[in-house]
Amino acid sequence: MNQEKIRNFAIIAHIDHGKSTLADRMLELSGNVSKREMTSQILDNMELEKERGITIKMNAVRLNYKGYEFNLIDTPGHVDFSYEVSRSLAACEGAILLVDATQGIEAQTLANYYLALENDLEVIPVINKIDLPNSDVEKVSNELINTFGFTKDEIILTSGKTGEGVDKLLDAVIDRVPAPKGNKNSKLKALIFDSVFDSYKGVIVHVRIIDGELNFKDKIRFMSNNSNYDITELGYTTPKIVNVDKLSSGDVGYICASIKTISDIKIGDTITLDNDPCDEPLKGYEEVKPMVYSGIFPVETREYDLLKDALEKLAINDASLTFIPETSKALGFGFRCGFLGLLHMDIIKERLEREFNLNIILTAPSVIYNVCLTNKDMVSISNPSDLPPVEKISYIEEPYIKTNIFTPIDYIGPIMELCENKRGTFRNMEYINETRVNIHYELPLSEIMYDFFDKLKSVTKGYASFDYELIGYRQNRLVKMDILLNGEKVDALSMIVHKDFAYNIGKNMVNRLRSIIPRQMFEVPIQAFINNKAIARETIKPLRKNVLAKCYGGDISRKKKLLEKQKEGKKKMKNIGSVEVPPEAFLEILNLRS
Amino acid sequence: MIKSCYIHIPFCKKICTYCDFCKFYYNEEWASKYLVSLENEIKLKYNNDLLDTLYIGGGTPSSLDISLFEKLLKICKTFRLNNNYEYTIEFNPEDINDEKLSLCKRYGVNRISIGIESFNKDNLKYLGRDYTNFKEKIDVVKKYFDNINVDLIYGLEIEDKNTLKKDLDKILELDVPHVSCYSLMIENHTILNNMGVKPIDEDIDFDMYKLINDKLKEYNHYEISNYAKEGFESRHNLTYWNNEEYYGFGVGAAAYIEDKRILNSKNILAYINKKYNSFIEELSKTDKISYELILGFRKTKGISIDDFYNKYNIDIKELYNIKDLIKDNKLIIKDKYISINSDYLYIENEILSNFV
Repeated sequence: MNQEKIRNFAIIAHIDHGKSTLADRMLELSGNVSKREMTSQILDNMELEKERGITIKMNAVRLNYKGYEFNLIDTPGHVDFSYEVSRSLAACEGAILLVDATQGIEAQTLANYYLALENDLEVIPVINKIDLPNSDVEKVSNELINTFGFTKDEIILTSGKTGEGVDKLLDAVIDRVPAPKGNKNSKLKALIFDSVFDSYKGVIVHVRIIDGELNFKDKIRFMSNNSNYDITELGYTTPKIVNVDKLSSGDVGYICASIKTISDIKIGDTITLDNDPCDEPLKGYEEVKPMVYSGIFPVETREYDLLKDALEKLAINDASLTFIPETSKALGFGFRCGFLGLLHMDIIKERLEREFNLNIILTAPSVIYNVCLTNKDMVSISNPSDLPPVEKISYIEEPYIKTNIFTPIDYIGPIMELCENKRGTFRNMEYINETRVNIHYELPLSEIMYDFFDKLKSVTKGYASFDYELIGYRQNRLVKMDILLNGEKVDALSMIVHKDFAYNIGKNMVNRLRSIIPRQMFEVPIQAFINNKAIARETIKPLRKNVLAKCYGGDISRKKKLLEKQKEGKKKMKNIGSVEVPPEAFLEILNLRS
Repeated sequence: MIKSCYIHIPFCKKICTYCDFCKFYYNEEWASKYLVSLENEIKLKYNNDLLDTLYIGGGTPSSLDISLFEKLLKICKTFRLNNNYEYTIEFNPEDINDEKLSLCKRYGVNRISIGIESFNKDNLKYLGRDYTNFKEKIDVVKKYFDNINVDLIYGLEIEDKNTLKKDLDKILELDVPHVSCYSLMIENHTILNNMGVKPIDEDIDFDMYKLINDKLKEYNHYEISNYAKEGFESRHNLTYWNNEEYYGFGVGAAAYIEDKRILNSKNILAYINKKYNSFIEELSKTDKISYELILGFRKTKGISIDDFYNKYNIDIKELYNIKDLIKDNKLIIKDKYISINSDYLYIENEILSNFV
């Protein structure tokens, strides 16, 4: 394909603004997928994605339209995954900025727009869902014009549902998105923007060829570690797999090379030819920095290796997942894992359980604290139980964020109240139009990790959207709270809390634990401690009855079955000291502050 | 050699709200056909073993009218009983009369088990049972038999400790040698369960259990729910708890024969048509040991260490985590018997679930 006829672009949008449906229509219009083959939202092929209705992993598909080669790269819509958005944008020259005609600009619309600008992309503004009776094209157009400075003529109107305007949009992609600039005759430079592990093919590497050409059976080299591989398969997806002999500058496609060493693949790395390497790798990506850390432990110790294997496989197509071994006195051997946010954590947890069939315990998520010691050393702590003794601490800093909360003006009051309760500081408020505002607060990151999303949703009846950016660290009066179960400190339940809130949190925590941990054969005290001083206590009463009083007319098999069931139940519990604790207990802190 | 036999009579005049046994409304024609099939099943499977215990339960065996009742007793004459046998039949209080009791006596029955369940009218109504003058009825039974059991149910949501206390006082007045006290269980497919009744608070349940143990002190508390005067322990039920083999005849009846646990079909039509197709669980040695433990530990005296060794050629103390449980004082060794510490008897499943 003539490089002048290639268009590489992504669709960026706030969650639920109809990105995947629009992509489906494009596939249909270009004839890639027949009507018969259309399952709703083809690009969301992970079971979890379909279920949650969100795109987690991007996918690249190639379509042919009016003699042009389009490479459409799908992007996630959730705030946790802006890093992945940024990765896919680096492989593009253009972006379709999609806005729901019934909703208008939302928090992620803004965030994604700025990501596109940072990547120097041509942005095509699109108002989608114009078929809906409550759509307000006029109002949303004005928002786009006022907020981003688009002109009225630039805006394209579409309906992913009916297909209206999709042809105009594809024409605009041809007209406005620049062709790739690379040089076919230069030495090979291919950018890895995604990878997936396949049990038959090994690692599948998704690339954008920037310069040069890549041929089937070439020997490639990964520039970050100089490892090399013979290519076994080259191709692209439509979304069906199409094998090709060659990928040239401007193309998007995938490479298989029987790569089993997962750690050889780094997203953002540059691939070149082993026998004719380029001099300089591409700029690549900044290393992603996890915002939230949590311990993941197998319920049964012998599943440690399985868990390790599973995390490695997940990390291969999720560059933002990090993990290092961790040992907990209470939970044994496991991993300290870093996530982009809570949704990301939740998704990893579910994938470990569903795809790998593991019984795992997650500990309460923590942010990274900067701890300044009395000897002026600064240490970073992502696990509250690692906090040095209080007498060695000079002060503790915690990460702060600045919010973008898009809301109808009716909810300004409740939102401000919510933010104040979360230790927030009001900064300012921008009017998007006469009925909607963007509220900026500064909040400790740890406060939005818990029930902030849910609370925001409920106080605004779901009308507000939320996004945030990290703005640095601030000193606060923070202390470590320990939980003792039956007199034994449970390191996995320790948390760092603000001193003024500690008493309430402690009281809530022991109370919650009391209701979630079943009664045992003995009395179990639960205590919350700060600096070796008890601040709250509850007691789980001993179990009083667990017996089958009547043995029916000699039907004894039934009794055995009942005992087997009870034993199964116990297997899911973690034995701490001699107390059987259900895995949920370790996440109970999440439900605490409400 | 099988030494025990259970016969199930599934008919009742009235269905109790808590019952999930195999039972049907009494109907003379069906009952008559049922006995024909029962006789057939016994002929088919009974190997002429010399029995130690025979137990006719239900349902309500006493609900059969007098001629069918006699027919049942006649059928049971098939069984060879040893000299020192125990032969029990269950009675509902309202069925007690001289006619049926003298028939029982004539056919060799020597133990009567009576479902009183409660003396309190509200309790009885809740359980779906009738009130009669229980004291008078028991006095009639006593004219014929001295080995008598009465059943009591406690732990109803409408009941308090005071009601239970009164029930226990009345039980003591009856002066019978055997008492079974069952905590009400809300089973699936029962009227109570359909009504959405939930079990009572376990603390109250446990307090009631303590009250029973207290009030029935003059009895030997020989199994979780059973209390007997010296020499009046239910030998038939001990067959179960000693994990010994037994026949089971009748619809839905359970048997344990030649290392198999067998459960008859619960479909009465099929049964009447002589289709006994049963569910069979074949037991490995491990299964047998599991059963030996989960049943044996129901007895307050526990399991004989020597008998266990003779049966399985294994030292019981080496099994599972029994050593740790002994060290924790959850299991106790006394007079060559190993038993559950009585403090843990009412939560014994916590310990028994180690053994399955």
